Amino acid sequence: MPVFKTPFNGYAVKFSPFYENRLAVATSQNFGILGNGRVHVLDLTPAGPIAEFCAFETADGVYDCTWSEDNDNLLVTAVADGSVKLWDLALPPTANPIRSLHEHSREVHSVDWNPVRRDSFLTSSWDDTVKLWTVDRPASVRTFKEHAYCVYSSVWNPRHADVFASASGDCTVRIWDVREPASTMILPAHEFEILSCDWNKYDDCVIATASVDKSIKVWDVRSFRVPISVLQGHTYAVRRVKFSPHRDSLIASCSYDMTVCLWDYRVEDALVGRYDHHTEFAVGVDMSVLVEGLLATTGWDELVYVWQHGTDPRAP
Amino acid sequence: MEKAINRQRVLLDHLRPSSQTHHQSSLSASVCLAGDSAAYHRTAAFGDDVVIVAAYRTALCKSKRGGYKDTHPDDLLAPVLKALIEKTNLNPNEVGDIIVGTVLAPGSQRATECRMAAFYAGFPETVPIRTVNRQCSSGLQAVADVAAAIKAGFYDIGIGAGLESMTINPMGWEGSINPRAKDFQPAEDCLLPMGITSENVAHRFGVSRQEQDQAAVESHRKAAAATASGKFKDEIIPVTTKIVDPKTGNEKHVTISVDDGIRPDTSLATLAKLKPVFKRDGSTTAGNSSQVSDGAGAVLLMKRSVAMQKGLPILGVFRSFAAVGVDPAVMGVGPAVAIPAAVKSAGLELDDIDLFEINEAFASQYVYCCKKLELDPEKVNVNGGAMAIGHPLGATGARCVATLLHEMKRRGKDCRFGVISMCIGTGMGAAAVFERGDCVDPLCNARQVGTNNLLSKDVL
Repeated sequence: MPVFKTPFNGYAVKFSPFYENRLAVATSQNFGILGNGRVHVLDLTPAGPIAEFCAFETADGVYDCTWSEDNDNLLVTAVADGSVKLWDLALPPTANPIRSLHEHSREVHSVDWNPVRRDSFLTSSWDDTVKLWTVDRPASVRTFKEHAYCVYSSVWNPRHADVFASASGDCTVRIWDVREPASTMILPAHEFEILSCDWNKYDDCVIATASVDKSIKVWDVRSFRVPISVLQGHTYAVRRVKFSPHRDSLIASCSYDMTVCLWDYRVEDALVGRYDHHTEFAVGVDMSVLVEGLLATTGWDELVYVWQHGTDPRAP
Repeated sequence: MEKAINRQRVLLDHLRPSSQTHHQSSLSASVCLAGDSAAYHRTAAFGDDVVIVAAYRTALCKSKRGGYKDTHPDDLLAPVLKALIEKTNLNPNEVGDIIVGTVLAPGSQRATECRMAAFYAGFPETVPIRTVNRQCSSGLQAVADVAAAIKAGFYDIGIGAGLESMTINPMGWEGSINPRAKDFQPAEDCLLPMGITSENVAHRFGVSRQEQDQAAVESHRKAAAATASGKFKDEIIPVTTKIVDPKTGNEKHVTISVDDGIRPDTSLATLAKLKPVFKRDGSTTAGNSSQVSDGAGAVLLMKRSVAMQKGLPILGVFRSFAAVGVDPAVMGVGPAVAIPAAVKSAGLELDDIDLFEINEAFASQYVYCCKKLELDPEKVNVNGGAMAIGHPLGATGARCVATLLHEMKRRGKDCRFGVISMCIGTGMGAAAVFERGDCVDPLCNARQVGTNNLLSKDVL
C-alpha cells in the first residue's frame, strides 16, 4: 500500500467517517517542539499513490485532528498554541480556518467528536482541563477541571451521548457524565503517566488505557479494581491505543518503541501482530470504520502508511 | 523558548518512566546524537552527504630495498588514480579536483609529478590537481579537503590521494636552522628526530620495551593473517614496474601486488635482540617503529545524490575530521587528543566506534594512545598497521581509508562507525570518522539475533 511523506513530523491520523478513501493527518515541525504545523487531507487512489486533497497550515504544531460526524467537510484540529481550529474542506485555504477557539492556556493534545449526538466535541489539554464545545457556539460549553497534570486524551463513549473518559499524566483515568457536576469515576489505572484511552465499540463498559509503563490495560468500569487484561509487549511508552470498529476484542496501539501492535485482549497470547515500519516514534494510529482491516499510522519519521492488516505496510 | 523547553520536558517524561516525573524541576536531555549504534539507520541518508564510492592503494614496499626501489613516484600514483576511474566506470571529465597528500618531496616538483601522473592515468587536461602537506596525515587531509570542498559546493566529485616514495625522497633538512629556535622550546622541539619523540613518549608515559615489542609482534601477526586470507586483495591495485639488479644492472619487469614489509615470523625473542636506535638506553628499535616505505593510495568521493544517480555502491560516508595540536616533544600522543575531537564533532561517543585504524608510527605512541583512550584491542588495527605494512608518510592516510572501509564492508551491519587517526610530526594529531555505507550485507554476515528491541542505546 502507498506511503505519503509529510514535510513535518506526524502526530495523528484519522480516517474520514464519510469517505472510505479519505484521511486527515496532523503534523508538527521539529517534532512538535518549536515551529509550524500542518494538517493534510489525503485521498487514497485505487492502486496509485496517496494524493493530497488539501492542506492547512497553522502557526504552531498540530497534535491531533478529528472529523465531524455530522458534516463531511468539517475537520477539527488540536493546536499546540492552545487553540482549537475548525476547517471547512469546501472552502479555499484563504477562507480557513472557519473558527479558531482560544481557551486552553497550554498545548491542546487531543480532540474527539461525539459519535452519538454528533453536535459536540471534546478537547483535552496540557493545562489539565478537558473542554466541551459545540459547533454553533463561539465559547466552550463546559470545562472539566479535576486532573492534576496534562490531560493527554479524552474520548466519548460510543453508546452514551453524555459519557466520556479522560486520560492524564496524573496517572488516572476519569469517567465523566456531562450532566453531572463532577467526574463519576476515578480509575487509578497505572503507576505512571497515562497517554491514551479508548472505549470498546461493542461493550460500553470496557475501556483500554495506554501508559508510560509500556503496558496497555483493559478495564471493565463496573469492576475497576483489577484490569481484565494487561497487554505487555511494547518496550517504550505506549502513545496511543484504539479499539477496532469491526471486532470487539481487537486493539491497535502505537508506541515510542517505533512499533505498531495489534492485540486481541481476550486470548492468552494477546499480541496479534507487530509492524516495525516506522523508523522514529510511532505516535498516530487509526482503523477505518468503512473498510475492515484498513490501518493508517504516522510517526516522527514524517511518513504516513495506509495498509490492509496482514500485508506489509512498506510493500509498494 | 520556555514553551519549547516545557514541551521537551513533557515528552522526555514519556521516555523516562518514574512515578513522580512531573515534579522534577530541571530538564536534562541526553546528547542529541547525529547517529548512533542503533540496529537500523536512524540518521536519514541525506543527498548532500559526502560518500566514498571507491578506495584503493598500491602494495607498500620497503624503501631502497623493496619492489618500488626503481620506480618513479608518479608511476605509483597513476595506477591507483586509473583504478578509481576504471572500476567505477566514471567519466574522468566529471572529477572536480584531485588532491594528493605528499610529504617529503620538494613541493613544486611533486605537484608537477602528480599532474603528470594524472595524465598517465587517463585524466584529461581539464581536471585540476594539487598537493597538500600535513606531514604524516597528508593522505587523510587530502580526503578531508575533498570532502570539505564537496560540502562547500565547489564540485560534486573529487579524489583524495596520497603518495610517498621514501626511496627517492628520504627524510632530511635542507639549509641552515634558524638560531632563533633556541629561544622557543616548542619550536626547538619541532626539530627533534621522530625517534626521540617516541623515546619521550615511552619515558613520559611509562611504555615499556616489552609492551612495544608485543605491539609490533601483534601488528605483523595480524597483517600476515590478513595477507594470507586475501583480505588486502580488495584494496590493492597491482603495479607493473621494473626492478634493476644492483649487481648486474639487469632490468626485470615485475607486477607488485603484495606488501613486502610483513614478517609473519616476527617474535618477541627476535625483537628483543634489536638495539635501540635513537638513544642508548632507549626502547625504540627498528622492530617496533613503522617501516620506511613507498606507496600510494586514492579515494573517490562524491555527493551521495550523485553516487545514487550513477548507481555506484556507497562504501562509506565521511562524517567528520579534526586536526589538533600537541606538545612537539611527544608528538606521538596526537591520536589520543584527535580521536575524541573527531568523534565528538560527529555527534558520537567513543563507544559508538566499531573499528579503529590508528597509524603505528612508533609502538610507544600507539600503545600509549590505545591505553589512554581505553580502546578494545579487538577493534584497533585489526589487519595490522604501519609497523608491519609500512608508513609511506603522505600515502598512509589514503591507505588507511582503503583498509578501514574494506574491512567495514566485510563486517557488515555490526560495524557502523570507523575512525582513522595518526600522529603528526611537530606535534599534531588528526582523526576522521567514517560511517559504513548502506549497501546490503553479504550473506556470510548473517547470524542469529538473541534479543532485538531495535532501540538505540541513547534512549535506554
